[in-house]
Amino acid sequence: MIPPKRILSAINDYWPLLEVLVKRFNLSDFSFLDVQTIIKQQQPHLSSDKVFKEVNKLLQLEIIIPLAKSSQLEINRAIADFCQHLLQEENLGAMGEISALVDDLTRVGQRMYNAGLSDDQYELARNARIMDDRVRKIVKLFLHNQNAIFNLVEQAKSNDTHMSLAKRYKAVIEAFDEYIEPMLTMVDIGGHFKTCFAQIEHQISELIEYIMATGKFNQEKRMLEQLRTRILDMYLTGQKSLTKSADILLPLREELRRNTQLTRQAANVLSRIRKQGVNAVLGEFVPAFQSEPQKMSLGNANQMVAYMAELNEFEQAEYTLPNPDEIDRYALPHVPDYDKVKHCFFKQSETTPRSLFAFLEDEYSGLEADELLYLYQKLASDPAINIEQAEQPMTLAHHQHQFILHPYHGAINSNEQP
Amino acid sequence: MTHIDLSQLSLLKAINKKLVSGYHISEQDRELWQQLDQQIEQYAALFAALGYELVQDARGFVYLYADDATPSMGKTSRSFALTIYILIEHFANQGNDPINALFDQDIDLSLMQSLVQHNKHLFDQLEIFSGSDLRKDVFMRMVRLGVAKATEQGFLLQAPAYRYIDALLEINDFQEMTAEEPA
Repeated sequence: MIPPKRILSAINDYWPLLEVLVKRFNLSDFSFLDVQTIIKQQQPHLSSDKVFKEVNKLLQLEIIIPLAKSSQLEINRAIADFCQHLLQEENLGAMGEISALVDDLTRVGQRMYNAGLSDDQYELARNARIMDDRVRKIVKLFLHNQNAIFNLVEQAKSNDTHMSLAKRYKAVIEAFDEYIEPMLTMVDIGGHFKTCFAQIEHQISELIEYIMATGKFNQEKRMLEQLRTRILDMYLTGQKSLTKSADILLPLREELRRNTQLTRQAANVLSRIRKQGVNAVLGEFVPAFQSEPQKMSLGNANQMVAYMAELNEFEQAEYTLPNPDEIDRYALPHVPDYDKVKHCFFKQSETTPRSLFAFLEDEYSGLEADELLYLYQKLASDPAINIEQAEQPMTLAHHQHQFILHPYHGAINSNEQP
Repeated sequence: MTHIDLSQLSLLKAINKKLVSGYHISEQDRELWQQLDQQIEQYAALFAALGYELVQDARGFVYLYADDATPSMGKTSRSFALTIYILIEHFANQGNDPINALFDQDIDLSLMQSLVQHNKHLFDQLEIFSGSDLRKDVFMRMVRLGVAKATEQGFLLQAPAYRYIDALLEINDFQEMTAEEPA
């Protein structure tokens, strides 16, 4: 027998090589030369002699074994399984595997039950150990298959695989139809597994009660309790793993369904177009892009935006009338009749020029500033008055307002005297 | 009623111009798409007030619904449909996933030439006789309507092409219906 430690250290040393072998050949056979080439690639500095020795060493350790009646080699199955597990490169197992193990579990459970009731300590312990082993195996298979399905999905999804669409999806469909669906029905409430586990659990519980009542086999009692927990846990693991797998497979299955439907329909429609013409077949079905009114009646973009803004304001801004109490009442202007003002000016100023502003300020001091200025400009532009403008700007005041202007001085125009 | 705040719809003018011309705004028009996506309710309300139906498709595009096309647009749309269906068949024949390939693969002139060669009877009906006809009459127009975008190698279909895939499924529904009726 080869010491396990040596095998482990060899696996450690040759891991890069094993990884390539597992991934590339996927459990199929390969030649001595293949292994040599891979080693040569990974360690180019090694001489051919040395490479040959390395391969031989692997053969001696039985990590690589020759195929029966052939010069081809393969990886030792136990090592390959271990490597695949480590690399998560698992392949989907058959549903039958798990099913057979569960059936076996029921059988062994029955035997253990009988042994317990007939006080056969040795048989009880032996069968409990076998059951424990089966349970571990089943859990391992569930997880293994879940990983395998994840790989399958990755593969089906990735675009670089050269597998054709049909083939890619074939694996998915197979996984679903042959593993997930039957497994789900078995794990389901009322399914085969559920009844098996219920029966086993019942038997174990009864045994534990019996042991407690008789006070015998304390050691075995603990073992049985552990077993019961483990079975329950296994059931949950199985359910979880299956739902997870189903969840990731379902979308792919949908995609395939849609794609095949689409391809079939495309072919179908094209063949109809060949016979009946494009317009007859596609006529009313193709999406319309721009309707006649859309094309004709919209005007240019600016009009459009203005119109939309108008619409928007119409909808949004409701005009609220101001509260009548809050606004100042409208006051009528007190501007006196211009002719009267002019007459008054003429009366006062005779022929000597007089400041228009001073005149208005004296005579009409009660007026508002704007009213005063209105009269001021009216007088200033009157042709009947001769106007002279001051050269220096002056600051004039009326009530609290101040004006800076070149004030006008006006005298009666002798030609236009009224 | 949706509150419409024009100050938030800063790209209204550009969006309106594109949509009214029949263009489909999709994720490739990043700026317009972002604003539409954020303010879709306001835009929808605004266009609804104008008598249009703004449709936002979950696959990433927005367009104005038109129930009947102008005659020239109808012909254009049929040529798009035919081209897309032929592409689906082409990719499926090659063993590709047709949907993925449709939106992932550049369509260059040599592919167009081979499509026209292999489907002469079909393209003849639309007066497309060569790869460059297909490029000019179909793909350039697709770009103008937002169904495809131009790339270095050729053209790449955009999300609005899904409308044609939906239409394809409808044709068959209709076919099945008419097939069932006589029975």
